[in-house]
Amino acid sequence: MKTKRNFTAVLLSTVLAISLSSCDTNSNKATVNPTISTGIYVLNQGKFQKSNASLTYYNLLDSVVTSDIFTTKNNRGLGDTGQDMLKYGSKIYIAVYESSLIEVMNATTGISEKSIPMLNSSGQPSSPRSLASYNGKIFISLYDGHVAQLDTTTLLVEKTVAVGSNPEGIVVSNNKIYVANSGGMAAKADSTISVIDPTTFTVTNKIKVVIDPIVLKADAYGNVYVISFGNYGSIPYTLQCIQTASTPEQVNVIPGLHPYNMTINGDDLYMYSYSYDANWSVINKSYAIYDVRTEKIVNSNFIASTAIAKTPYSIDVNPVTKDIYIGETDYSNTGKMYVFGQNGTLKFTFPTGVNPTKIIFLTK
Amino acid sequence: MSKINLLVFVFLFSSLGHILADSDLTDSLRTHRLSEVNVNGQSQKTTLAALPIQIFSEKEIESLNSTNLSDIAKHFAGVTVKDYGGIGGLKTVSLRGLGASQTGVSYDGVIMSDVQTGQMDLGRFSIENISEISLSNGQPNDIFQSARMFASSGVLSFSTKMPVYNGNNTLTGRLTVKTGSFGLIEPTLFICKNFSPKLAISLSADGLKATGKYLYLSNINSQGNNTVEKTRINSDIQSLRTEMNAIYHLDSLEFISFKANQYYSERGLPGPDILYSTYSTDRLLDKDYFAQVHYENKKSTHFQYQLFAKYNSTFMQYTEVSPKYSQLSENKLVESYKQNEYYLSSTLQYHPTNNLFISSSVDGWYNNLFSHDNNLFSKDTAPIRYTGLGNIAVKYLNERLSTCANLLYTATRETTQTGAAAPNRNKLSPTVSLSYQLVESKELRLRAFYKNIFRLPTFSDEYYHDLGYVNLLPETTNQYDIGLVYRELKIPFISELELSLDAYYNQIKDKITVIYGMPYSSIRNIGSVDIKAIDANLRLAVPINRNSFIHFRVNYTYQRAQDLTSGSENYGEQIPYTPFHSGSTSLSYQYKEIECGYNILYSGKRWDGQNIDANLLESYIEHSLFCRIASRQFKLMGEIINLFNSQYQVIKNYPMPGRNYRITLSMEINKHYKNKKKLHE
Repeated sequence: MKTKRNFTAVLLSTVLAISLSSCDTNSNKATVNPTISTGIYVLNQGKFQKSNASLTYYNLLDSVVTSDIFTTKNNRGLGDTGQDMLKYGSKIYIAVYESSLIEVMNATTGISEKSIPMLNSSGQPSSPRSLASYNGKIFISLYDGHVAQLDTTTLLVEKTVAVGSNPEGIVVSNNKIYVANSGGMAAKADSTISVIDPTTFTVTNKIKVVIDPIVLKADAYGNVYVISFGNYGSIPYTLQCIQTASTPEQVNVIPGLHPYNMTINGDDLYMYSYSYDANWSVINKSYAIYDVRTEKIVNSNFIASTAIAKTPYSIDVNPVTKDIYIGETDYSNTGKMYVFGQNGTLKFTFPTGVNPTKIIFLTK
Repeated sequence: MSKINLLVFVFLFSSLGHILADSDLTDSLRTHRLSEVNVNGQSQKTTLAALPIQIFSEKEIESLNSTNLSDIAKHFAGVTVKDYGGIGGLKTVSLRGLGASQTGVSYDGVIMSDVQTGQMDLGRFSIENISEISLSNGQPNDIFQSARMFASSGVLSFSTKMPVYNGNNTLTGRLTVKTGSFGLIEPTLFICKNFSPKLAISLSADGLKATGKYLYLSNINSQGNNTVEKTRINSDIQSLRTEMNAIYHLDSLEFISFKANQYYSERGLPGPDILYSTYSTDRLLDKDYFAQVHYENKKSTHFQYQLFAKYNSTFMQYTEVSPKYSQLSENKLVESYKQNEYYLSSTLQYHPTNNLFISSSVDGWYNNLFSHDNNLFSKDTAPIRYTGLGNIAVKYLNERLSTCANLLYTATRETTQTGAAAPNRNKLSPTVSLSYQLVESKELRLRAFYKNIFRLPTFSDEYYHDLGYVNLLPETTNQYDIGLVYRELKIPFISELELSLDAYYNQIKDKITVIYGMPYSSIRNIGSVDIKAIDANLRLAVPINRNSFIHFRVNYTYQRAQDLTSGSENYGEQIPYTPFHSGSTSLSYQYKEIECGYNILYSGKRWDGQNIDANLLESYIEHSLFCRIASRQFKLMGEIINLFNSQYQVIKNYPMPGRNYRITLSMEINKHYKNKKKLHE
């Protein structure tokens, strides 16, 4: 009898010992906390609903990469799906789409000054998409079909105005705000650009463009360039130019170009495009430059098709060095930033988070 | 034309089988042939099995701190359950690293499936009237089964309590009420009546209501050292599950049984924990019902025959309210799916000598799917699939050796109302297995099996708007297993010991994988996975004295599951949600009518994608305990689940509940009812 009792006691204690000895170890890795100087912030979108949006900081002076600098500086994550970012004055504004907030961060310290939740009157998320700035205000396109006005001094959302459905790109040109109504969440995509007067903050008119307009960029000559994604069938990706000076605004399709994304620096509009083969592999990657003043393509392959290994996801130009920064993704794993000189040679690369989507250059 | 031929063939085969089974009636009632499953106890079933099988009896099921099939499945070796948390949360079961869509789920001998998603929501089944749950790797060992049982990489089977004639025509049953955390209230009723020695009918009903609310710690930063307390909302569930079973014995070894089952559930889908957001409106509505008939004839020594016929209807509706859907009425997205399945199966087993069994089964079934999406203008594809299976199995048994081989032939044909249909598919899939008693006087056996099988693309894989691809190949698996099983009844102080150790190598080829892209993603057979693993199982039964008993069980799995997709960024990495180490253990102590027990579930670290720290999910241990006291009529049980309030996640950003409680009270129903005939005697 005694032996049996001892046996059961041993059994019980063994089980308990095994269970209590193995425990979680939070790997607290030492993180580098750098000072921010001449460098680059990359906004990594992260994966949708994985709450892993992040900021990568690349120091141009010593080439050190700090991944997730927002968490390093603020001890908390950036949020879910970082969609757009812009710098105005000393602050950086980030539209965090699925967390539905605007993060206002000090550009030089990386410390958050305010986290502004974007909710509609019923307390539902209004889902910020893109940002534009003008006269001390930040304009935010909201996926619930509105544009909000944020004051950069008080950091309060002052007004909202209703536009078309699922607005995406937003730019200011010729003292007017242009926002692309994509209708991306609807059965039938939208095909309009809403024009807003910034002083009255009302919609003055709507411009008809090719179906599913997404990307908007403004040049220095009062033109707004639009990339419409088409209908993924008979209507391809289409590049258009809106002349804001004419009334009503005139829209011209720029033929023979089907870019996915673009950026404008000076007179140069940089763009990239690609397509899919039968195995859903990315093919025909092409990188072109279009001159906005002469209205001609000046370079149809400023880098080779194979220069970026996977899929290009972002394109930005350093205003000082004129280097071209192209972000690469495969939608699941961490990405990479490729930096090319104006002559098309690859200067350097650095790792980014998942889906690098936008860059801000900090120059002293 | 070929579909009609298939049905005709099945009917002809059925009639032939029936005739043969009835033709040889010489030893019908008295002879009990030594079939490998007709021996006492489940231990024999597991030790003699050439293909590994693990079993939980009704009693063990009650002692696992579980309320549904997937929670029970977590206690089997080699199983990875993807648990999205909460009472109504979706849970899928993957066996030996092969993925949930490769797992077959069998209910009373019939494989159940969802042709749209390829995965069964196991929460659909009430465990209140379940008599046994088993997990078979490869396929169940009994070759007298439908062809469809040979058509998965592994089968999770469960069987209902079939009414047994108890000598008089009494109404028996049980009323149970469960309550506890998350605002849980679950009343269950089970009643059973024998109308004669030949006919019995049982009914069961299981109602469930829970708020599903719980507090959890949400990680604010990726290191996990900055947390904020949040409440899991939109996690409520109300459901009703009812079932009727009737069995009519034409003879002692010949019966026909009928089952009708209904399932209704409406629940919130809380979704992942989004940083800085608490908005969640996704809801899921399920309305399913099925009816099945089973005829079995084992009267003859040489021929055994069975037939299954089944109809299943599944309706699922998903809704989401969001200001992003500004174009939809009430900003509400509504997606609904209706599936129908008609199934027929016929199995004939020929048993010419004591050592040899030959079975042939033919199955045929029809699936269709209707979809409706209020945010889509395209016409419904409305696919239809005809599937035919033919299987031949041969089993040889003697005292020390049992070997088995089977060859399964699968043919599918599909048509659609709109758009291209998937091409016809035809495949042959072999399996071989053996079990050999190494030492004559000891119950020590070596076992091995090889199985080649596949899973067909689901209707979602083929036809889901923008994403689907009709030219998908089936996803094929090859399983190689070698193991040792040992059972000992003569160890001092221990009444029973069973130990099993299996080493296995599995390959997944042409894995159906989503390829992300812009503006939309697609799906192809690009994946390739290699799994090398070990499963170990130990069971002990220790009698303390005449009144008390200790039961102990522990299992451990080591799994190295590598992504070997050529050209992949993740080549060589451990596939998502697959821990290297995992295991479970149960210990219970019984004294007369009281039983108390302790359960532990362990999972090592794993990643939710690329093997980097940012994607790491920490290892976790969940401890649970229960105490139960039973009298002849009443039973009371109290449970504490997640005793140490472990804050963990199985799926990234889907938090599991902390410590929670449950109390169950049940009452046996025995109504005495005199048979009219007897009154007049």
